[in-house]
Amino acid sequence: MIRKWIVMLLMMIGVTLISGCWSKKELTDLALIAAFGIDLDKEGRYVGTLQIVNPSNVAGSQQPGGGGGQGTAVSVLSTTGDNLDEVSRRASTKISRRLYYAHANVIVISEKLAKKEGINSILDAFDRDPEFRNTATLVIARGTKSADICRALTIIDKIPANKIIKTLKTTENRWGENIFTNIQDVMKSLVSDGKEPVITGIQLNGDPRQAKNLENLQVSSPEAILQTNGLGVFKDGKLIDWFNGKRARGVVWILNKIKSTDVNINWREKKDAIAYEVIREKTSVSATMKNGNPRMSIHVRAEGNIGEARAPVNLTDPGVLKKIEKVLKKEIKHEIQDAVQAAQKNKADIFGFGEAVHRSAPDEWKKMKLDWNDKYFPKLKVNVKVEAFVRRTGLRNKPYSSNIGK
Amino acid sequence: MEKAKLSAYQLFVLVLLFELGSAILVPLAIDVKQDAWLAILLGMAGGCFLFLIYLCLYYYYPNIPPAIYMQKIMGKAIGRALALLYILYFTYLASRVLRDFGEMLVTFAYPDTPMFIVNALLMMAIVYTISKGIEVLARAGELLFVLIYLLAITGFILIVVSGLIDINNLKPMLEEGISPVIKVVFTQTLYVPFGEAIAFTTILPYLNNPKKARVTAISSLWLSGINLALAMAINISVLGVDLASRSQFPLLSTIQSIQVADFLERLDVFFMLALIIGGFCKIGVYLYAAVSGAASLFNVKKPSKLVYPIGLVVLIVSLAIASNFAEHLKEGLQVVTILMHFPFQVIIPLLLLFIAFLKNRKKTG
Repeated sequence: MIRKWIVMLLMMIGVTLISGCWSKKELTDLALIAAFGIDLDKEGRYVGTLQIVNPSNVAGSQQPGGGGGQGTAVSVLSTTGDNLDEVSRRASTKISRRLYYAHANVIVISEKLAKKEGINSILDAFDRDPEFRNTATLVIARGTKSADICRALTIIDKIPANKIIKTLKTTENRWGENIFTNIQDVMKSLVSDGKEPVITGIQLNGDPRQAKNLENLQVSSPEAILQTNGLGVFKDGKLIDWFNGKRARGVVWILNKIKSTDVNINWREKKDAIAYEVIREKTSVSATMKNGNPRMSIHVRAEGNIGEARAPVNLTDPGVLKKIEKVLKKEIKHEIQDAVQAAQKNKADIFGFGEAVHRSAPDEWKKMKLDWNDKYFPKLKVNVKVEAFVRRTGLRNKPYSSNIGK
Repeated sequence: MEKAKLSAYQLFVLVLLFELGSAILVPLAIDVKQDAWLAILLGMAGGCFLFLIYLCLYYYYPNIPPAIYMQKIMGKAIGRALALLYILYFTYLASRVLRDFGEMLVTFAYPDTPMFIVNALLMMAIVYTISKGIEVLARAGELLFVLIYLLAITGFILIVVSGLIDINNLKPMLEEGISPVIKVVFTQTLYVPFGEAIAFTTILPYLNNPKKARVTAISSLWLSGINLALAMAINISVLGVDLASRSQFPLLSTIQSIQVADFLERLDVFFMLALIIGGFCKIGVYLYAAVSGAASLFNVKKPSKLVYPIGLVVLIVSLAIASNFAEHLKEGLQVVTILMHFPFQVIIPLLLLFIAFLKNRKKTG
């Protein structure tokens, strides 16, 4: 009988001990970090800016101020420290809750920090911490402090960090001048001898003081708005250049990350008369050795539709479509070559050509890898081959403009 | 020896879970970078060869536990000493696996919990299982086998679907030639995890159909080797060589990279389950090997009485063997391999087989 009671007692103790109250974290004791911004102050110390979600102000109606709560969807605070762990722990002097990083999806690094000190040494804390996820997105605050990016309130998406991520994803999918890079990708490129990272820049259009005001959201056209802009080119962990517009898209073409985009071509003297929508694209990069020198070949295969035709053009004629395809090839090839030349001028192999050489000629690569960026990459011969196919022309064949005045 | 009967399927399942145990969680053979999968497959081939040695010994003495047949082969004194050494070896390995298990859980899931608590909880479950006998462990294994394969297949599909696999990360193959791979095979993968199957020598006598032992065990080793190689190849193709080699637990990083359709992500629990199932089976088999060895060496009628003291020893040793994780890993890769795995998995069995062969030839001749 006693034995039974002892077993019973042990089971009770087991149930209470095992049920997981040891390191419990109550939701009301956590501060959910949505974004983390890093700046340098004048003394060269890190300033960490934490964007913390106010759950009660996120729930409820979509209009700011209505329904859920009166305040802003996020609260932002900054602290300084000599490293990021210190920054994070010192922040506890300003906030009542334990900082919780499992949902930190955006890391913003200021342009100044990326240029001056580089990003080689600051990512370790994110990589090492088990709570933090390597799939968080990395962006560069272009032209402003990253604190200003973190403080800016946004329309449509209430949590600014979500807005940044969604904008990045959408623009990568629809337009293709920016790419969505997470910490893991960036670290892979930083470590690799044959590839340098590119990171999307995000800028604040307008007055930073306006951006953090709730009133900024209560007008139809906010005074200050966050926007992705350009690709930051890195070398040895430091930001050295920005690629914008078509040049940035050239980079994205080579990285095989174009999902869909719009390419304009001229038609019979009319500038940008035909818009071609890429719907499918595949780029393959390969390296061959010739007389001890590496040679790259880039093969782009794009499929798409005609999205707009502002000039009279007979789209029912396959011969015309062939002609359009020919012009398209030239246009895309031009974008790619421009990106390659610009990168070669910067002596930064952002395309991973070195990795392609490593794969195809591992023995020669050993000799080249130490001064790949400075010696071999700038002189690299790159052969670009583009195939572009017009598959469909939308609901209409000839544009209505071809029938005007007939 | 307790009265128990195992079917061939149960042996298959136990060997498989034992082999996958902790090996699938750690960066196995990462010293040869993108060729790790090859080193694992070669290690598996060598491991099968080692297991054939153990099987030959088993077929000489099909119904006798190793602690007894060692005495028959080597004589009373030496045989007993050897059996004692093997008991210590299995106890130590059990505590090493327990330490691995505790370190992993404490590192990524329970940062504020003392390792003693984590280890003690798992050890309680294992000690209870083993005290109920080997059949219970085998039946638990049958259930867990289904679970772990469901997890593995789901995980595999999710990794493929989220487009994470970049085969280019596995190129160039054999960058430094074949010799580093061979070196890693003979210093690492041959012993851990494949040679470790020597613990099954204590379980083989319970088979209800001894003829099937060879086919079952070898096919199980094959399947586990292929699984491990595939897992490591996926880890490297997802993470890249650099990140995979910097990860304490590459499989965890791989699983954390999964992002499907914006909501299937952060599936760390897959890793947790694999970790606990694998740890449970591997420590269980080792503990059983130590307990049954001790029972037959010291003529203890009820082996289950020995489970509690030896389990306690395993628990305490698991905390005492190293003061930090790095030290623990270093010991495992350098000291244990040379001083323990090589003699206990290769030299002594070979010697035993040689003498057993001579003795049995004399008998028949």
